[in-house]
Amino acid sequence: MGLASVSTSTEGVRFCIFDLRRGQHEGQELDKILFFFPADLPFSAQLSVIGLSEGLITFTRIFSPEAACEVIEAERHAHVFHEAESDIWMVMVVEKSKESEAMWRIDALRKVLKEIHSLFVMFHGSIRAMLEKEPGGGLIRSHLYPFIMDYLRACQKRSPLDNCCWDFLVGKKLHLPSFRDCLKERGTVQMLTIGREAAIEVQSLARVLESCVGSTSCYSLVLFQDLLVSTTLSRDDTLNLFTYAVLRLTPHALSSGLSSWSYLRKGSSSSPVAAGSTLARSDSSPEQLYRSHGISPSSDNPYHVARPLQHKKWCKGKDGFLITDIWGVEDGSLISATPTVWLQQTEERMYLCAYQYRSLTLVLLIPVSSILNGEQGISLVKQQVLQNASLKVLKVEEKLSKGWGGENAYHVSGYRYLLVDSYRNVSRASPPGKVTTLTKESLLALSKLREEVDLEKSSARLDTAGPEKDMEVCIRAKNNAWVIARLTRGEELYMILEKANETLLYASDALEKFSNRYCNGAFSLV
Amino acid sequence: MLSSDSGEDPMPNPGSNPIPIEDQFSCIVMSDNCEASATRNGSLGNHVGGEIEGAEDKRREWGRTNSVVEVEEGTPSPSSSGYAGERGSSGSDEDEIQELTIDGYVDADGGPPDSQATWLPGKRHVDEDDASISWRKRKKHFFMLSHSGKPIYSRYGDEHKLAGFSATLQAIISFVEGDRVKLVRAGKHQVVFLVKGPIYLVCISCTEEPYESLRSQLELIYGQMLLILTKSVNRCFERNPKFDMTPLLGGTDIVFSSLIHSFNWNPATFLHAYTCLPLAYATRQAAGAILQDVADSGVLFAILMCKHKVVSLVGAQKASLHPDDMLLLANFVMSSESFKTSESFSPICLPRYNPMAFLYAYVHYLDVETYLMLLTTSSDAFYHLKDCRIRIEMVLLKSNVLSEAQRSMLDGGMRVEDLPNDSVPRSGYVSPHMSHSRLPTDSPERFRESYGGTGGPAGLWHFIYRSIYLDQYVSSEFSSPINSSRQQKRLYRAYQNLYSSMHDKGIGPHRTQFRRDENYVLLCWVTPDFEFYAAFDPLADKALAIKTCNRVTEWVKYVENEIFLQGATPFSW
Repeated sequence: MGLASVSTSTEGVRFCIFDLRRGQHEGQELDKILFFFPADLPFSAQLSVIGLSEGLITFTRIFSPEAACEVIEAERHAHVFHEAESDIWMVMVVEKSKESEAMWRIDALRKVLKEIHSLFVMFHGSIRAMLEKEPGGGLIRSHLYPFIMDYLRACQKRSPLDNCCWDFLVGKKLHLPSFRDCLKERGTVQMLTIGREAAIEVQSLARVLESCVGSTSCYSLVLFQDLLVSTTLSRDDTLNLFTYAVLRLTPHALSSGLSSWSYLRKGSSSSPVAAGSTLARSDSSPEQLYRSHGISPSSDNPYHVARPLQHKKWCKGKDGFLITDIWGVEDGSLISATPTVWLQQTEERMYLCAYQYRSLTLVLLIPVSSILNGEQGISLVKQQVLQNASLKVLKVEEKLSKGWGGENAYHVSGYRYLLVDSYRNVSRASPPGKVTTLTKESLLALSKLREEVDLEKSSARLDTAGPEKDMEVCIRAKNNAWVIARLTRGEELYMILEKANETLLYASDALEKFSNRYCNGAFSLV
Repeated sequence: MLSSDSGEDPMPNPGSNPIPIEDQFSCIVMSDNCEASATRNGSLGNHVGGEIEGAEDKRREWGRTNSVVEVEEGTPSPSSSGYAGERGSSGSDEDEIQELTIDGYVDADGGPPDSQATWLPGKRHVDEDDASISWRKRKKHFFMLSHSGKPIYSRYGDEHKLAGFSATLQAIISFVEGDRVKLVRAGKHQVVFLVKGPIYLVCISCTEEPYESLRSQLELIYGQMLLILTKSVNRCFERNPKFDMTPLLGGTDIVFSSLIHSFNWNPATFLHAYTCLPLAYATRQAAGAILQDVADSGVLFAILMCKHKVVSLVGAQKASLHPDDMLLLANFVMSSESFKTSESFSPICLPRYNPMAFLYAYVHYLDVETYLMLLTTSSDAFYHLKDCRIRIEMVLLKSNVLSEAQRSMLDGGMRVEDLPNDSVPRSGYVSPHMSHSRLPTDSPERFRESYGGTGGPAGLWHFIYRSIYLDQYVSSEFSSPINSSRQQKRLYRAYQNLYSSMHDKGIGPHRTQFRRDENYVLLCWVTPDFEFYAAFDPLADKALAIKTCNRVTEWVKYVENEIFLQGATPFSW
């Protein structure tokens, strides 16, 4: 039974999560499967994907015990592996096709898997912990399925025109990052550059916010538009919350789900948009899955499952705080429960409060343990914030708006670039609207070059004793564009220069100028 | 004394055989009637010796092994140190254990390129199998197996002990069938697959060579197998899917291991071009003229080589002699000790020329390093080719070609230290080692000393120039600081990376590439006329490096008559 037999359906994507510690006996193989997309694929086909994956994990461990299978490249498919937790694997199978531009950079796809897992852990804790809580597997399945489906459906990619959004999941087809996204880096934070004066204002705002809680272990994140202004969280927690904020909380994310009010009031049945129908489908699918697994005897979902990535569930309340009913309603009241998240750094559960004023979004994280009387306590904190910080918020917003250069703020004329600081998980890139002016050939060439760099980076990572990767590659492609990668001290710079002179010296000069002007000379040779 | 395999692998009735096999059969008869009685060479014939009674079933082996004549059995010559190491050598084991402790992985490839004395040909570590830790830690495995999962060849370990492992590889390939698995990546390891009809080839490597390089190495291994057996071996699988091919390749381990070793030091394996021995234009012309003479008398290809370098080459259809075929043929001849000891007439197949049919190669060593190969389609041309060889040998001796070739081997090729200072060489300037009037004091040693560790100008360490029109390349000699075999191998791997980066199938070839990392500055140009690869000190100045590259390409053009084979006749170019 080959994969070809199952890939006849229109979409070329399979995505599964399985646990190697489960279903080790014959006849129990289905126990391994924690998630499978598409869910309506026959079990035999699902098991075939998982069987191959498991076989190759075992096989590659013979030679590479420290790092098992990462990718299978076949003529028409790529299988991307990610061991999210020990023995818990995420595998994505994508179809390759030149015609439909389905040419993938493996690392970019793996970053999607990592992002899904990180977000899941932030909201629900680790997969292993949930499996230990309920070894039957029903609990984890009932969480994973809606979560990932919401992610796939809802993860918005900015279009070239920036004001129209689309999902990974359009109809039945997944739109994953392709070579056209080679000047983007998933899994990084995009920052707003601000002046000294503004920085001081923002800092004092953050202090005021934290003082409102009266607890020292509270954290805050400040965003302007879809850019991070300040954070008091650790690097990884910042990334997760930033990702979530850009997906669901910023004005941009809220407006893309503008119909949310009417949707909520009128009820889901009247929703005319196409998304509604896929939503309905996904709602029933997990139940199907459990029933056929024989896990849940009743058709009612026995678990209360919060769906933090659910589309169009956040809106701005009258007081400026963002509200959602995702986490249900607190017992005995009509107040929506405040969302909670796990922080990796402190391993603590925190309430997530978001306040929005125009383009400014504040995210406040308060330890659940520090609020004794639940929602009542939270609303007290909210009041404090309104009282103490409103004015400061106003001022900061005004200041940042004045300094804001618009969507092309970080465009550098003549350059198409991506700058990544892998220590801080920060990236900056040419605006999407400018990247679309590049030819397909240039983008393909950079995507290929990035794939080479990815390999160099990963082998340098495995050489723990080895020095940090320091390299420079300048390629003049067939279409005469210069495609450049430069790595130094954990910083990465990728560039496409299309209308450049033919000499190598010209290209390196351009790189040098860019480095001196925008990167404090980090990429300069001397 | 039939092996059990031959019983389950009934061969077709001879009458219905394809022509090549018939040819081969007649060749056996012919060589049996040769003036020299056919005895079997230790390296090739041991396995076959016991199966003579199964002659009809084993014609292929016969054809191959019978080709070797007049070899004293079991007494390898003192010079052929390779023999001793063929079945496991304690000396090499020690080396590898040492390496194992250094970087955790065993690298058996560490032999300096041209001093093959430290590299022991033939299969080693036959006692290992997939359960041994040492086997698992080898840096680069190569496997050949049949589509039913039967092992055909393994670089390390006994094929028969690896039957289970082989079945696993087969399962992986067939599981993804419908699609075709190309590559599995796990940490530093790559598993590369190549399916050639009923024959599967797999490489498992942690050498960080790019996928494209490993794949083309598998292609070469497959080509080497075809060179020995032709593609008609596929028919055996059509008749019996469980056909066991190992006996057909019995004794040829040494050919494959030598090819695999060449992946580390021979740029021809990734450039798909051949290289020439530097010779004065007139000297090469003299050699070419006599070869041309012979080619006109019904010889398909006449090739005179010094180790892996071509002295001269002519043929009725020279254009169609692919550089890969030359590489595989030269490897076949050089790796088999038996060719060195007597004139031989052997069926061989040139996979790029015609993968289905055998040609016949008359091979004779004119001195320790120089050998003549005359290829023909006729299986009964032995005496004719022998006559040709005698004529050629006489002319070569008379015109001093052989002594010039020997001297050139000693002197070596282009050296980065010798790069002329002027951008345009002064008229009459010829680099010392190319010129006939070289003074005795101009020894390479003297040069290397005087440059003490800096390489050439502007930090130039090494270069390769490939002429696209000629299908030939010239590679500079290794100079300080690229001294050890480990450094040389690393440089070749860097070149391989550069090559595959430049020649991407989808979007390539690129025009220019500059690449700097902690080891080198690498520069590459691909133009319609040539490809140029150069390695510099990692701190080299970009502008100076570019200038230096331009000087090198001018230098190469200036001496091209001495380093390249320009054509069979003086006016053909």
